Amino acid sequence: MNAICLTLNGEELREQVEPREILADVLRDRLRLTGTHLGCEHGACGACTVTIDGVPARSCIVLAVMCDGKTVETIEGTRTDDIMNVIRRHFHEQHALQCGFCTPGMLMAARDIIARHQQPDEATVRRELSGQVCRCTGYMGIVAAIQSAAAELHPAAASAVCANS
Amino acid sequence: MAATTETKGWIGARLLRKEDARHLLGASTFTGDVRVPGLKDVAFVRSQFAHGLLNSVVKPDGLETSVFSAADFPDLKSIDGGPELPSFRTAPYHAFAREKVHFVGQIIAACLAPTRGAAEDIADQVYADIEPRPAVVDMVEALEPGAEILHEGFPDNAFIHATVSEGDIAAIAARAEVEMRRSFRMNRQATVSLEGRGVLAYWDHRLDELVVYLSTQGAHMMRIGLSLALGLPEHKLHVIAPDVGGGFGGKNRLMPEEVAVCAIALKTGQPVRWIEDRREHLIASVHCREHHYDLTLYAEKSGRILGLKGEVHIDAGAYSLWPSGPFMEASMAARNLPGPYQMQALHVETHTVATNKAPMGPYRGVARPGACYAIERAVDELAHKLGMEPADVRRINLVTPDQMPYRTIGGLRLDNGDYPRALDMVRDMVDLPAIRRRQAEGETDGRRIGVGFAVYTEQSGHGAAEWMKRKSRIVPGYESCTARVLPDGSMLLLVGIQNHGQGLETSLAQIAAHELTLDPAFISVRYGDTALTPFGFGTFASRSTVFSGGAVAKATRLVAEKARRIGAHLMQTEYEETRLEDGAVHGPSGKVPLAEIARAANVRQEFLPAGMSPLLEATATYEPEESGGFFSYGAHAVVVAVDPETGVTSLLDYAIAEDCGTMINPLIVDGQIIGGVAQGIGTALYEEIPYDPDGQPLATTFGDYMVPCAPELPKLRIAHLITPAHGTEYGVKGMGEGGAIAPPAAISNAVCDALHGLGVIIRETPLTPRRVSDAVAEAEERRAAVSLKEEVPA
Repeated sequence: MNAICLTLNGEELREQVEPREILADVLRDRLRLTGTHLGCEHGACGACTVTIDGVPARSCIVLAVMCDGKTVETIEGTRTDDIMNVIRRHFHEQHALQCGFCTPGMLMAARDIIARHQQPDEATVRRELSGQVCRCTGYMGIVAAIQSAAAELHPAAASAVCANS
Repeated sequence: MAATTETKGWIGARLLRKEDARHLLGASTFTGDVRVPGLKDVAFVRSQFAHGLLNSVVKPDGLETSVFSAADFPDLKSIDGGPELPSFRTAPYHAFAREKVHFVGQIIAACLAPTRGAAEDIADQVYADIEPRPAVVDMVEALEPGAEILHEGFPDNAFIHATVSEGDIAAIAARAEVEMRRSFRMNRQATVSLEGRGVLAYWDHRLDELVVYLSTQGAHMMRIGLSLALGLPEHKLHVIAPDVGGGFGGKNRLMPEEVAVCAIALKTGQPVRWIEDRREHLIASVHCREHHYDLTLYAEKSGRILGLKGEVHIDAGAYSLWPSGPFMEASMAARNLPGPYQMQALHVETHTVATNKAPMGPYRGVARPGACYAIERAVDELAHKLGMEPADVRRINLVTPDQMPYRTIGGLRLDNGDYPRALDMVRDMVDLPAIRRRQAEGETDGRRIGVGFAVYTEQSGHGAAEWMKRKSRIVPGYESCTARVLPDGSMLLLVGIQNHGQGLETSLAQIAAHELTLDPAFISVRYGDTALTPFGFGTFASRSTVFSGGAVAKATRLVAEKARRIGAHLMQTEYEETRLEDGAVHGPSGKVPLAEIARAANVRQEFLPAGMSPLLEATATYEPEESGGFFSYGAHAVVVAVDPETGVTSLLDYAIAEDCGTMINPLIVDGQIIGGVAQGIGTALYEEIPYDPDGQPLATTFGDYMVPCAPELPKLRIAHLITPAHGTEYGVKGMGEGGAIAPPAAISNAVCDALHGLGVIIRETPLTPRRVSDAVAEAEERRAAVSLKEEVPA
């Protein structure tokens, strides 16, 4: 067993983990943070996306021991995040989810896309979403939600685009 | 009753979904999220051979009590399914393999440990002594003389041979000006819900029952199957389907893992679960699609189609899954082959074939994507043969509105709608003349442009008569609802249907809101729990809105009637003088809120009319009178750009015109269409589970099983025609599957249209870059061979 210390959703956490334990399993099975979903367990579908030191990562292919000293945020940590709540509202309004299984990972990716692209066009959003699988929606609502959330969150960028067009 | 109910516009409202909030918070509960103290994980030992004799299973020393195989469960019943037909051959499908294994991934043993990782460590140490036999992997070759026979007592490898025949095909063949024979193949897929299957079972001592959390499309149905397999009476089985992360058909069959986990929980007395991983899903979950068509089309030179003769092979895999098996696949494929077209004769021989692959089950569209693909590709090839525009050939042959209801030569009753108009709409949406001009001009980047059309029908809401015709051992001819008004006037709808992404918590609440003039915010929909809801069959076959929506309408109307009787009593007026409006019963001189009526009915009986029984609730079942089904339909048009060098196909435009009758919630309808089309695009271009000659599956991760992602998919354009059904509540038709039916046909037609000038022939899905570029290379070789011959003087 290895001792690790990390900041998880804003709180310091000390855990004893086996070297082979995956971050997603520690989150889900030990800490009961089951909002992080496992869709493939080989880093392809993005359902398990969390952020590590602010950067999106697939928690199904990250070893828990690799998170020693890091800051990890899961979907549960975003409940009072003003930006995420705006994105949530747009997902709701654009019918960007059906079964809901991909949704937490999709939201974690969406917030990152909006942080890096103030006014992303459709092609940019689609390219940025290439690592997130949704089997229900055909992505149209998700793409629309990310674009409309970005427009609300970056009004200056939106008006600049309007002025240029 | 409905006529006197004021509508607040809930039918047809784009109401945002009630079920979104928990998912958006990451606070939903899927089977894998359920925790029970002392829970143990199962890892299965699965066959690595496609076919072989299972001589023995050797458990690792000291771990014998943590490993389970067939020998540990001598009383477990096999779970074979299929129609009640003497001609259908059954082979027992045991949860744990006995004596033989028949596909890679079949369960041999189960290992139990506190974590999945530890259980897999044990599984690695279990030795299965298997003596390999030759594998049968091709459904056509499987029926050839000398083929290895999979199942004892089978004279050949077919589960069933059957013929669908109507009209005089010989007479049609004799007088047809054009005869065209073509073979088409749609390859094997998995259903790929993003949440895999999962099951958790434990004995609840207080309730004296086995509690089973199951990721399923129908908890009540699975209780029947589990009861049969386990020999446990149904009142000792409590099946709960919590949040279910997609199903698409794949969670509508009783599977061996589910029986095994329940059996282990019963045997050990411990809480046990199994959560499917993606590799298990791809090799051993419900497989689907794999059809082969050998068709001869008879037509006039004008393009009018006269008849269709052919042979259909269905690769059903090794076993027949409970309850329905693979039988419906063949009959549905054959009966849907004529599609929306007028024909005079049909003669199809079908063969449902056993192979050494995972068993086949339903997947969104069931059989119709294959049938639509075959007939629509054939129509395009006929058009090419006759030098006609494919859309024009369709226009000549489509059933017209004045012919409705129209009985197709396949025996399906198309009830209403305007099929030619749907085709015209998508033809205009993609601007066919403009595409033809662009094709004539050519592309500067070497790609080739193509346009493809497909018209489909989608049988929905079919009831008892249709399922009895199919000889189904379960007849899902109704759905049920208990509508319960609580003392404060808020409401529960307890429904036997399952919701796993279809938005039924919203659309069913809209129906109740419409009938009771309540705000949907005060209505909760509950489902997925055999202890909570009346019996229902679950969500499949585009049936939920027709059946469950109908049951909600009936139950809430009964509640409304009783509420008006109580209201009339309280206002000292006649029942006939009352009406429901704004959540209150109105009379000539005032109104009583439903909350007050509910309070009287539940806890203040002294305010009820004399002799009236208390409670404000009703249970109703619903089946439409016409149980042959109601047909949604639509036309798809797609524009593609194909790179002949790389074989990569890009979707430039995708237009849909569809008609599902009255829409309860157009937001949800569009979501179902878009999601269905995305899956159809997967069938057309990406998704495939190939097998090697030894029966080894070659797509076992998302690295080699390609599902469509955001960059590959276009923005779809959707137009609605609305022809309300006659004979369903509000005129609804089911529409959950339609989106997935037409894309393989439309996209294949578009790719073939793009490459037609190069002489390329592709009659198989998916149109992967490899398959397309190989076909282009073959066409080049054929042209080279022809030109060589021409250079040599005769």
